[in-house]
Amino acid sequence: MIIKKLIRNRISLIGLVILLGFILVAILAPVLAPIPDELLALDPNRDPYRIPRYGFSSTPKPPSPEHPMGLTEGQLDIYHGIVWGTRTAFKVGLIVVSVSCAIGIVVGSVSAYIGGKFDELVMRFVDIFMSFPFLIAAIVITSVLGKGLGNVMIAMILFRWTGYARLIRGNVLQVKQDEYVMAARAAGLSHIKILLRHILPNTIFPVIIQASMNMGSIVVTAASLSFLGLGAQEGYADWGQMISYARNWILGSPGNPLAYWYTVVYPGMAIVLFVLAWNLIGDAFRDIMDPKLQG
Amino acid sequence: MLTYIARRLLFLPVVLIGVTLLIFLAMSFLTPAQLVSAYIKSPEELKNQSIQELVAKYGLDQPVWKRYFSWMRNVLKGDLGYSVSANMYVSEAIARRFPATLELALFAVIPVVMGGIWLGTVSAKHHNRPLDHASRIFAIVGWSLPDFVFGLIILLVFYGLLRWFPPGRLSVWADNVILSGNFVQYTGMNTIDALFNGRFDIFLDALRHLVAPTITLAYLWWAYILRITRSSMLDIFGKDYVRTARAKGLMEKLVVKRHVRRNALIPVATVVGSMILGLLGGVVIVETVFDYKGIGLLIAKGAERMDYTLILGTSLFYGVLLVVTNLIVDILYAVIDPRVRLE
Repeated sequence: MIIKKLIRNRISLIGLVILLGFILVAILAPVLAPIPDELLALDPNRDPYRIPRYGFSSTPKPPSPEHPMGLTEGQLDIYHGIVWGTRTAFKVGLIVVSVSCAIGIVVGSVSAYIGGKFDELVMRFVDIFMSFPFLIAAIVITSVLGKGLGNVMIAMILFRWTGYARLIRGNVLQVKQDEYVMAARAAGLSHIKILLRHILPNTIFPVIIQASMNMGSIVVTAASLSFLGLGAQEGYADWGQMISYARNWILGSPGNPLAYWYTVVYPGMAIVLFVLAWNLIGDAFRDIMDPKLQG
Repeated sequence: MLTYIARRLLFLPVVLIGVTLLIFLAMSFLTPAQLVSAYIKSPEELKNQSIQELVAKYGLDQPVWKRYFSWMRNVLKGDLGYSVSANMYVSEAIARRFPATLELALFAVIPVVMGGIWLGTVSAKHHNRPLDHASRIFAIVGWSLPDFVFGLIILLVFYGLLRWFPPGRLSVWADNVILSGNFVQYTGMNTIDALFNGRFDIFLDALRHLVAPTITLAYLWWAYILRITRSSMLDIFGKDYVRTARAKGLMEKLVVKRHVRRNALIPVATVVGSMILGLLGGVVIVETVFDYKGIGLLIAKGAERMDYTLILGTSLFYGVLLVVTNLIVDILYAVIDPRVRLE
């Protein structure tokens, strides 16, 4: 039913189409941007996420028939980076969202179910985690763990689960006193069974939707960290890093301020469209879930 | 009211201790040798002593709880260690850079709140009509533009193409005046200092450098405030007292101004806390893009060079700052909405 509503809503349909496009690019990456034969000959086990390099000059080169989106700083192929960067974006988003959501659901629901002093303690703990700006917290953790995409993901998970924990806690507190939970307790079911079979199925859905709608912002934060030089390693297909390569060239050459437009426009567009797609769908979702806004 | 404030104030130390524990926990990922830099008093110490000696001297081989207390003693004295990347004490670096960031944040907050509320009101009044759809698209696009992409575009257009708003905090000539000794730095915020010194030219120059980062910082939050004002106003439009106001023949303009908007602003006030959180986080990217020398750029540079002393020190500062700000926002919120106090 929700899918039908999403399709009927024109704005969210655009979002779905863009997202579908990204999914296709991610799946078809080996076909769309294969590792060039000459590089494959040198190293048969070459990681496809490593962007091919065509030369040693640092100055970017404009789009040409061989390199449809041009070469960015260090002669890295922008097209290859964008295509494989789509996979990186999905990978980071899916892992961070699913792991932090799982942690949040476990902590939040158990805390609410037990209630009392324990719940109070857990929530204060959550408050402390939430008192840091997300990006700053991610920087702190990445800097003590060391640079790299894996550590960036760990850092984001560490500071993202709290939001979901708070959300599911509120939902569980609401249904905890409902008759069917009382009935289950009276019937002598174990706490774990009550939580898994009766409470979670009635509370988990909005949290999962909320979490999946955070995909866009998670990918932006990961890209921000790469932009600051904390994320992906040099030359790895990652949109944030490609934008950081563009930074030195953004003002163009003397007399031609737009000389290197392609270094920022293509990766910028990729990330904006990706986030836009998630936000369009999320926006429609919010309206569907909130009957007050209909009419 | 007083009991509410007292209850919140009583709780403050608990949260603050929690914040320090969290930072301390992050520090424990580091080896004692890496931690030395967080403790040394001056760079000379490194020349005369070996790392092992320093580790022993500062008790870094001691059990965790002992280390926490000795670290806390230093923190309470305002000693956050020596930063290699900034080439000065962390506390000194924070004191120097914070006014710049505060200035930027203050410049962003006012247009964000006023503009966001205004757009949200317009959008709600024209619910489901073209103006509403336009502001909605504005909001979604704003929400989807990562600040580093948007900032680079602003830089490209307003500096690269038009030459209007250069990066940095001041032009070279203005910087020279400030450092010359005839210019008194009362607050460290250039615009305010310039006015106090009666230097209108410097005021304008500082303002010129603030425009682009402010726009970048503000756009995303405009979208956010717009969205919340809109949905909260739509909610209030359906209330009985609004129908009553209309039924007694009150002008629509006054209905919106006196009855709807005032009540609709309550949920908006709640997000101010998270907005400040977001603004202070967003400052890292915006300052990096515009080469604006505030705390954000300090953190970014420190992160690039893995200067964890600096990062841990500044984030502790941030954590404390935000806990206190949130407390103030919460208390103000209780003043606006009496229902909160009764919870």
